[in-house]
Amino acid sequence: MTVPLDPAVAPLVVGFELPFRDGYLPSIIFVSLYVSVTAVALSTLVSVPVAVAVGLTEFRGRRLLTSVVNTGMGFPSVVVGLAVLFVVSNQGPLGPLELVFTREAMILSQFVLATPPITAITLAAVAGVDDGVRDAAHALGGTRVDVALAVLREARYGIATAVLAGFGRAISEVGSVLIVGGNIAGADGVSKTRTLTTAVQLEARQGRYETAMLLGGVLLALVLAVNVVVVRLGGGVGR
Amino acid sequence: MLRATDVAQSYGDGPIVRDLSVQVAPGEVVAVIGPSGVGKTTLLRTLALAREPADGRVTLDGTDPWAVGADERLALRRRVGMVFQEPGLFDASVARNVEYGLRVRRSWSERLGDGLRSLVGSNGTAGAVREALEAVGLAGAADRHVGSLSGGEAQRTSFARALAYDPDVLLLDEPTSDLDPRNTAVVEEAVAAARARGIGVVVATHDMHQAERVADRAAVLLDGRLIETGPTDRVFDDPDDPRARRFISGELVY
Ligand SMILES: Nc1ncnc2c1ncn2[C@@H]1O[C@H](COP(=O)(O)OP(=O)(O)O)[C@@H](O)[C@H]1O
Ligand SMILES: [Mg+2]
Repeated sequence: MTVPLDPAVAPLVVGFELPFRDGYLPSIIFVSLYVSVTAVALSTLVSVPVAVAVGLTEFRGRRLLTSVVNTGMGFPSVVVGLAVLFVVSNQGPLGPLELVFTREAMILSQFVLATPPITAITLAAVAGVDDGVRDAAHALGGTRVDVALAVLREARYGIATAVLAGFGRAISEVGSVLIVGGNIAGADGVSKTRTLTTAVQLEARQGRYETAMLLGGVLLALVLAVNVVVVRLGGGVGR
Repeated sequence: MLRATDVAQSYGDGPIVRDLSVQVAPGEVVAVIGPSGVGKTTLLRTLALAREPADGRVTLDGTDPWAVGADERLALRRRVGMVFQEPGLFDASVARNVEYGLRVRRSWSERLGDGLRSLVGSNGTAGAVREALEAVGLAGAADRHVGSLSGGEAQRTSFARALAYDPDVLLLDEPTSDLDPRNTAVVEEAVAAARARGIGVVVATHDMHQAERVADRAAVLLDGRLIETGPTDRVFDDPDDPRARRFISGELVY
């Protein structure tokens, strides 16, 4: 015995029709997150020690270094993309690694873009820590490492802001990932180097505004979610 | 015994202070008095083994920290506590602040273990932390965040931080300059208690009454030199140096 399908209910049973094939959206989200998170993690690993060293020591060329970092915040991303494309191209120093149009090349360019803002904001946060905290950490028997850790802990909200700013720049960036990644999706619709931003750009150019807006919404939701997580972590540690 | 001999100190240009000779024995309180800007903080930082003297020597029980290796210097430095005029508290609970000196003295593996445990739940308050808080009248404040403390409570927390790891010598830089009489009394009691425990205390102050109340000996710092040193009573009642006489009588106004 068969139950006749109520035509009014059928579309719900079949499910909401997405304007693209299975696997397309998850793979794009994955590529976006994989590239941005990896790049920002690497940038943070480099930026924080550099910012602490610059912030806590006096040396010649410190002001020059600071202004180089600040200039780096304004690097046009397409120029960074071109430079990275050259570096990974056949003639470039990393040519043998065959990184053209790969996620790794995208990570490299995102790393170059995210490091200056993360370093600059972390440096400002470290420099803003009260001298009294450094004096106290030292006077209470702290080594140089202890003093640096105490300062980092005081600067933790600023550092969380720095990481967020770097992530925001990386995940919403179009120019360089397009140049070094090539916005490639396979014939099966699974993204190889297509990110949310380059997908939005492609869909919009081809007139599929609904799809573009949906992808844009996903991008926005991701950025918000990461903000919430980072603020939670920054605010929750050791209170 | 912490001893400075013919110490000079400068910040780049000429010496700020010179020919400073002062010592503090276990269980003794020495007051360094002088007008502001004369170099009291500079002297205390030098005694805290935080700043190498530009000239002269500082020794702790005969050892010059600047003549030995970094490990030994750290070990010497860790026997001295300094409380700055500005509390400089860490953005954390009172207990965590007071525990700091104990924490940095533990091995990295112990510290890692403590850190992991504190993620799961509270580590509890160590006995030394509780004692230090009791000594400054803050026994009930262990779990408060430093942001909620009054100025006097913050200053007393800063004091407890240096007491917790039981230093041999304690250097106090104008510990009551911003405090009301009640907080001042608590701090002075804590100084007396530290003295009774055999801690040598050097307290920099411009409050001569405080020096008379807490100190066994007094040293007057004027024009970059210690112009008068001796038992507190004698320094106040019968100073040798005419400038010290005028400073103490209030004639010499800076
Ligand atoms: N870090 C520093 N760099 C340059 N000059 C300093 C520094 N710290 C203190 N001074 C100068 O040294 C002198 C003595 O300062 P300080 O030791 O703080 O005096 P006091 O504690 O008696 O008020 C002052 O003239 C002050 O301006
Ligand atoms: Mg001072």
